[in-house]
Amino acid sequence: MNGYTTGENGTIPGMTEQHQFQLFEESLRKVNKLVFQMLINEIVPLSMNVQRKLEKSSDDEFNSEMSKLDVNENSNTTNLLKEIVPSDQLIHELAETKDEDKYNKVIDRVRNIGFQVGNKLSELLIFTNNPNLQFKEMDLLLIMKFVCRDVWKQLYGKQIDNLKTNHRGTFYLFDYDYPPIREFCIEENALKKELKLVEPFLEFPVGIIKGVLASLGYPPEQVICLATFVDRPNNDIPDTSFAKGISFHVQITTQNNP
Amino acid sequence: MSRQQSINSSQTPTPTTAQSPLSRSLKATGEEVWKRTEKINAELFTLTYGAIVSQLCTDYGRDFVKINEQLYQMGYSIGVRLIEDFLARTALPRCQGMQETSEALSKCAFKVFLNITPRVTNWSSGKDAFSLIIDDNPLSDFVELPMDAMEQLWYSNVLCGVLKGALEMVQLDCDVFFVSDILRGDQQTELRVKLNKILKDEIPIGED
Amino acid sequence: MTIYSFWIFDKHCNCIYDREWTLLANPKSGTTNSKQNDDISKLLYGIIFSLRSVTGKLSSTETGRTNEISSISTGRFRIHTYCTATGLWFVLLTDFKPFNYSKVLQHIYSDIFVKYITNNYLSPYDFAQSEGEKRGQGTRKITNRHFKNNLELFLEPMISS
Repeated sequence: MNGYTTGENGTIPGMTEQHQFQLFEESLRKVNKLVFQMLINEIVPLSMNVQRKLEKSSDDEFNSEMSKLDVNENSNTTNLLKEIVPSDQLIHELAETKDEDKYNKVIDRVRNIGFQVGNKLSELLIFTNNPNLQFKEMDLLLIMKFVCRDVWKQLYGKQIDNLKTNHRGTFYLFDYDYPPIREFCIEENALKKELKLVEPFLEFPVGIIKGVLASLGYPPEQVICLATFVDRPNNDIPDTSFAKGISFHVQITTQNNP
Repeated sequence: MSRQQSINSSQTPTPTTAQSPLSRSLKATGEEVWKRTEKINAELFTLTYGAIVSQLCTDYGRDFVKINEQLYQMGYSIGVRLIEDFLARTALPRCQGMQETSEALSKCAFKVFLNITPRVTNWSSGKDAFSLIIDDNPLSDFVELPMDAMEQLWYSNVLCGVLKGALEMVQLDCDVFFVSDILRGDQQTELRVKLNKILKDEIPIGED
Repeated sequence: MTIYSFWIFDKHCNCIYDREWTLLANPKSGTTNSKQNDDISKLLYGIIFSLRSVTGKLSSTETGRTNEISSISTGRFRIHTYCTATGLWFVLLTDFKPFNYSKVLQHIYSDIFVKYITNNYLSPYDFAQSEGEKRGQGTRKITNRHFKNNLELFLEPMISS
């Protein structure tokens, strides 16, 4: 895409393309990685909060009328804080909800955001002329490698640890140390609860994968992507990091090359 | 940052007696911390934020008042956590007065997290309110708003929430809001910080 | 250098973590978040609180910084404190041997507390969930195992060296 082919054109003598690309990457504008990580981790409590508000305003017309009275944006901003629920509480509330419909609406929202990010990120990576990418004759395996290597690297600073495929449209992507949840932990001996709390966070990368595939010709209705917890290799449960690895199971239901 | 009386100050450079030592050392701290910070591509950050705003537009059916509020609340939740990372990296003590707060925000906080240094200006006569002029806002790079949003949406309202939450954690109760935004066709992007009161540290029951 | 115990107080005057080593040369000994330490934690809080208000008053005529305490010595041990602008106090009780414990406490804050408590979205950032848990009346503790394990790993070499 973008007319890019691997060749000597424009290569500075003595410099590999890889090195050139690296220099280009380094020259791009940057922000602190932590603010990005917080932004993506905030997506789950945000989605839960939106759900609460939508339910509240449909339940209670009066409340929404009241909030309309509060349009003056220069009014004391502390008014806005009255109903702030801390993010950790929203996450616990989501994990504990018995209302399946509500739960699904929240994780759909998380996945949608991931989808949009994946979709746009894919364009961004392709248009930056990454010499690792040749989309001219790209098959599904190459696309999955693109996800594992370039997409993951850009988002999380690491690659997917392992990619497995049956060569018939089914792929397993293993990330044994998915960075956004690395520090996530509640207390001792509550692994089951901990996993339940983390589950919604996996919908973001699921959305990412679907978004990237959509941008490369595999529309979301043809793609199944499910995230599950898996044991780490050698079954090492670290005392200082999240206990489980993540497996993303990707299946293309209709073979339809772009 | 500290005078001779402060003891545990080994992390921050001690200001010399030259002009505006405070401002200069805050700038140095900001730059030094930024240098050793893990970074990501700003465009990825921009498009992720864009995806969040766009999802909220769908959820709230373009009710921009609600979207502003939601962005603000999300920012607050980030700010109350982010402040600890900021303090841990800069080892700054509490600011003495709003002048110092404005410098710490502009030269340190914005620098360390977004690699920008907004200009501090428009001080109120009581020196309790100031504006930050944000050029080159990484949240809104390449963003264009549709007409309806231009009138009501404060696209980067998450920043107000972040500042609100972070300042509250260091006992500064402030109003933080946008006055103008180039995305709305204004000349510049101006964020206003106004101190309401300095919150008192809690003391144990029975000590007062 | 030998450390005897470690404490964290939050801005609500509550002790949110305590760790005491009872046997010298045994980093696995002692208690974590022990009910029996409640009274001691209140006393310890009181000592630091009182000294801070006194030193604060002594320096109030100066235009500069607050007069922060970094260590207090008693007849039997030294109390090292590291206080953040957000009102967290990290406290270590040690022997008299000279060592820069403020670095140790700062490391605990920046590389263990911030990482496993504030940057951990499953954990609260504020341990008081109601008015009745403020002003020294709260009882919630940090129970997070990453925090605990990393803290133990970091402090272990200092227990009896």
